[in-house]
Amino acid sequence: MANQTPAVVMDNGTGFSKLGFAGNDSPSFVFPTAIATKGGVGGAGGSGSGRPAVANKPSFLTGGAGGSNLSAKRGTEDLDFFIGDEALTAATGPGYGIHYPVRHGQVENWDHMERFWSNSIFKYLRVEPEDHYFLLTEPPLNPPENRENTAEIMFESFNCAGLYIAVQAVLALAASWTSSKVSDRSLTGIVVDSGDGVTHVIPVAEGYVIGSSIKSIPIAGRDITYFVQSLLRDRGEPDSSLKTAERVKEEYCYVCPDMVKEFAKFDKEPNRFLKHTVTQPNGKTSTVDVGYERFLAPEIFFNPEIWSSDFLTPLPTVVDGVIQQSPIDVRRGLYKNIVLSGGSTLYRDFGRRLQRDIKHMVDDRIRASEARSGGARSGGLEVQVISHKRQRHGPWFGGSLLGQTPEFRSYCHTKAEYDEIGPSIVRRFALLGGPGST
Amino acid sequence: MLLLDYQNVLIQSLLTERFSGAPPVSIDQVVSDFDGVTFHLSTLETKSKILISIAVKCFKELLQYGAQDVLEREYGPYITTPEAGYDFSLIIDLQQLPEDAEAREDLVRRVSLLKRNAMAAPFERAFDDFAQRQEEAAKYTSESAPEGVAEGGEVMAIHYRDEEAIYIKASHDRVTVIFSTIFREETDRIFGKVFLQEFVDARRRAIQNAPQVLFRNEPPLELQGVRGLSKSTNGEIGYVTFGTVKNVASQY
Repeated sequence: MANQTPAVVMDNGTGFSKLGFAGNDSPSFVFPTAIATKGGVGGAGGSGSGRPAVANKPSFLTGGAGGSNLSAKRGTEDLDFFIGDEALTAATGPGYGIHYPVRHGQVENWDHMERFWSNSIFKYLRVEPEDHYFLLTEPPLNPPENRENTAEIMFESFNCAGLYIAVQAVLALAASWTSSKVSDRSLTGIVVDSGDGVTHVIPVAEGYVIGSSIKSIPIAGRDITYFVQSLLRDRGEPDSSLKTAERVKEEYCYVCPDMVKEFAKFDKEPNRFLKHTVTQPNGKTSTVDVGYERFLAPEIFFNPEIWSSDFLTPLPTVVDGVIQQSPIDVRRGLYKNIVLSGGSTLYRDFGRRLQRDIKHMVDDRIRASEARSGGARSGGLEVQVISHKRQRHGPWFGGSLLGQTPEFRSYCHTKAEYDEIGPSIVRRFALLGGPGST
Repeated sequence: MLLLDYQNVLIQSLLTERFSGAPPVSIDQVVSDFDGVTFHLSTLETKSKILISIAVKCFKELLQYGAQDVLEREYGPYITTPEAGYDFSLIIDLQQLPEDAEAREDLVRRVSLLKRNAMAAPFERAFDDFAQRQEEAAKYTSESAPEGVAEGGEVMAIHYRDEEAIYIKASHDRVTVIFSTIFREETDRIFGKVFLQEFVDARRRAIQNAPQVLFRNEPPLELQGVRGLSKSTNGEIGYVTFGTVKNVASQY
């Protein structure tokens, strides 16, 4: 074909799905990874406990065992569902129950996921899968069986032309190539990926995830929102709903270099205290004072003890620890390329603070070993945290970037290859954007 | 429910957001639609001017059948010279939008129907042709009809995909629309057959006023003499024929 159809890039995260076409600078659709389906027979929606468990695999994988209840054969109930924002709306009405097919980054309910995909492909993206190549993402340490299931659905249900499954962290690294700070397009680096539910620190060497050193931190966007909410409640603000807390978090928060000094600054300059106006759905407005939470909220990454009592390791220490656990010959590269990704890394000066704190730790360690060695001098170690414009949808953007390269198609597995070899073909993919490719 | 809309959801949501008075941002999106149609939405020199381009495989054919007139009727003042690599372009200046909210909504709806409108031309022409022929044919009895009236007009072919096409033909008592379909795999062929047979049987069973449908593997008689029909070797090519009259067809 003279005019190649753009590849479809789909990043299905726990909270949100990002869908779009390769080559674009932002996803075409971002909506919750949610699906609203009719409840069981007679059940008035919701996740009723008396309902038979939904088959965990597509029915063709279980030999039809999943669809053995009569209701599945009777009509078009299986076609009656909504996804994304429409699902959330439908779930507030009667008859529909909401489901989240992705849990902790991994697909849990394949039947729902298949329907979610079918709707996102046909209704939202409006593509014929047999004409397009697909780039999907997966979390690090995704079991190969999950990849196979994905491929079965993609090739057998949708008959898509070609498929590539990439690791989100690697795509996030590729997305950072747009930053001016990045000179060589290497796929070695640490990805600090902080979304809504959890924060991951993932070391990647030459495009391969170092699985043994991945660390996750149970502090992420949602905790910051709760923290802001608790501060608002403590002060007795007129409106302290979760939604308001989220708005305050997104609009006013930033990272400060030093908590104590920042308190002093606020006391000296009263214009740092702001007011946030909330408009209720009924038209009433109320004003919320915004004060110390502006810098305190993101501070829970750096001083978790102000929020959590069970997780007390600051983010910079975790990042440093992860690098120290990685093979010694990639550590220098990892320190040099710490890439931020995800919505909770968007606070102003987040990258700068992280870089400074890690640098301090590294310099202290170097000084200590210089002292121990008795006279040897170190050449120093470069620490660089890279923040860039595409951080929010980092993995999706990385996918878009790689999906538009001319050689992308040669890295995909095609339908013909799948028919020849079977699902196990997707256990391995050639490394996209790795050494040797442009 | 998987009910597919006629309009492109992305164009619709994007324009609705832009028209709502949100601060202008630059857009550069390639969007795809069914049948290998590609859209390109971009802001060129200023953020307030949105250029919407469409590339259709069979645009040349559509032009032959009067697509330009239909598009001009629908989009009049917004038409601009086509962007390189695309067939047809619209430009919308956010600063010169219609004042009225309803008119804006209407504009969004019309733009998101760009693909449908581009494809509509041959159908419209066929229905006009049908009306004329019907009038003509009313003057004769079936025996005395002169040459040409009974046979109907020329067949308009739209090759909207590489191997599949739509053929439209108007005659004095109906408009015939023929879709050629291709099913490569054996299983697909059977599924396709069963599925399309439902259309054929619908009229017999329940819905009396359903359009007449035929499904067969050989080119139907209407396509006799049309060049470029691919030969079906293993029966992978099928032809679905819809015979339809105007009151039914208006829903297309």
